[in-house]
Amino acid sequence: MKPSLTEAPWARYALTAAALAIVLLFLALPLFVVFSEALAKGVAVYGRALSDPDTLSAIRLTLTVAAIAVPFNLVFGVAAAWCVAKFDFPGKSILVSLIDLPFSVSPVVSGLVYVLLFGAQGWFGPWLAAHHLQVIFAVPGIVLATVFVTFPFVARELIPLMEEQGTDEEEAAVVLGAGPWQVFFRVTLPNIKWGLLYGVLLCNARAMGEFGAVSVVSGHIRGLTVTTPLQVEILYNEYNFTAAFAVASLLALLGLVTLVAKSVVEWRFGGELAANRRH
Amino acid sequence: MIQLDQVFKSFGGFAALDGVSLSIAEGELVALLGPSGSGKTTLLRIIAGLEFPDTGSVLFDGGDLTRATARDRRVGFVFQHYALFRHMTVFDNVAFGLTVRSRATRPGKAEIAERVHRLLHLVQLDGLAYRYPSQLSGGQRQRVALARALAIEPRMLLLDEPFGALDARVRKELRRWLRRLHDDLKITGVFVTHDQEEALEVADRVVVMNRGRVEQVGTPSEIYDQPATPFVYQFLGNVNAINCRITGGVARAGELTLPAPKLAYLGDSKAVAFLRPHDIAIEPSLAGQGTPAVIRYLSVLGALVRIEAEVGDQLLDIEITRQRLAELQLKIGQVVLLAPRNPRFFLEDDGEAVIPDASI
Repeated sequence: MKPSLTEAPWARYALTAAALAIVLLFLALPLFVVFSEALAKGVAVYGRALSDPDTLSAIRLTLTVAAIAVPFNLVFGVAAAWCVAKFDFPGKSILVSLIDLPFSVSPVVSGLVYVLLFGAQGWFGPWLAAHHLQVIFAVPGIVLATVFVTFPFVARELIPLMEEQGTDEEEAAVVLGAGPWQVFFRVTLPNIKWGLLYGVLLCNARAMGEFGAVSVVSGHIRGLTVTTPLQVEILYNEYNFTAAFAVASLLALLGLVTLVAKSVVEWRFGGELAANRRH
Repeated sequence: MIQLDQVFKSFGGFAALDGVSLSIAEGELVALLGPSGSGKTTLLRIIAGLEFPDTGSVLFDGGDLTRATARDRRVGFVFQHYALFRHMTVFDNVAFGLTVRSRATRPGKAEIAERVHRLLHLVQLDGLAYRYPSQLSGGQRQRVALARALAIEPRMLLLDEPFGALDARVRKELRRWLRRLHDDLKITGVFVTHDQEEALEVADRVVVMNRGRVEQVGTPSEIYDQPATPFVYQFLGNVNAINCRITGGVARAGELTLPAPKLAYLGDSKAVAFLRPHDIAIEPSLAGQGTPAVIRYLSVLGALVRIEAEVGDQLLDIEITRQRLAELQLKIGQVVLLAPRNPRFFLEDDGEAVIPDASI
């Protein structure tokens, strides 16, 4: 007997082959091109391209921005998810929509919003200038734009997870005498740790790779406000293809590492979720 | 000793508790019995400090704890779905209440281990200390939850539908075991249930709740034999509710007459008579006294036989033993005489409210 939902073998193979071809053409091939172009003139040139002072400063800036934005979004993502999942309050649905806002707004628009707020002609511009604080075309602006763009990753990941888990375990901990921090660190956090790690990975990948919003607020000052993705653009526009691809290969590598780490977490996390359902 | 005084609690306009007063003595095991939505779980959570009353007070041993948090009340709470910490072993679950204490009051590691193993022995889970909750059966999780609650040496144990999620056989076993455990530990206990059999079997006293109010408080036999309200009557076991009129100490409902000598002082009044199915005797010979009825249905349920008999336009549920059935040789369609015992009357006041009154 033939299962009614199974296609003929040739159809299955054809569909699989088509999917594979698309994956190879649009995903694997570009990745290969990045690395082959980067190494086209040999390892020595590749090394020199990466040790250029401007490139090093761009990498440093990217790491700095990620080191500020990711912990910030970790803390506030957990706080927001906690609020939404464990409490009922008026305006909850508005908060949930606000959390999603960065996903629905074009990154360029979010960058522009910061320019309008903190730029020289912006709302807070004169006040900031009077206190000798520079936000736009400086590192604070880049951090702000990155935080905004990457805000939803952690919260979005945790809200459904925490909603599913409910508040029973927290209540049990309180009745057993645990204080608020003990409840959080000994009960809530261990239950969400894999989801949290997953969210942080995605958040980090985006923070390091963000181009649009950062490009608007950066000002492209070499060695000062250029992040790694912006450095790729600058090098490419200068027809310095090998160097551009060399720097791009770092971002591609970051992407690959994230992908592997994400798969590992998914594998672990999937198991935990299944365990939860058995409860 | 726990005292609740005029506790009101509402959730968004819905009155979950509508003026509940209750006192629970030291060492007593009390069941909060009622249908879903009757407020029994809310009451339990207010005792635990997981909810706070809108008005009214909660006293433990005379001290006002109305606003005290759950953390400060030192009560053991067993959640309906156990709420075990899923990322911790059984050992760590049971030890949790001890390990979260401040350094000054926390027992040493060895003492904690010793206490945990003693508790696991008490709940018959020796050898499962290093399992995770997901590796245990429902009954085992239940007992881990109980051990975890007992680990903090609570002044009382609160259990929310403790047997609700278990299958029938395990449930019976566990509730006898809980009763024995309570007798051994002599700890004050309150448990919530919607199962009257469970409440009557396990508890010293039963609090019957309905729509956020206490309908009756009493020992299991008081509750069963002298229900204070029609609700209690209907909630506890099968009952025939018969609309009747009482005049001159006799209640009449169509062809059925019930003696009500204690109500002889009443003029003509409307009432509802409640009759348990096992309080109706069947006489096969038509020579004796009683109301003639036709047997419409017969069904043997183990040792008991369920019968439906028709009197005029009314169907009455009757229960007799299997042996009695053999003696009577009843058949469907047969005409018999019915002799009701122990009817209880609730007078209808303005058609709505019903006032309890003495039975005969």
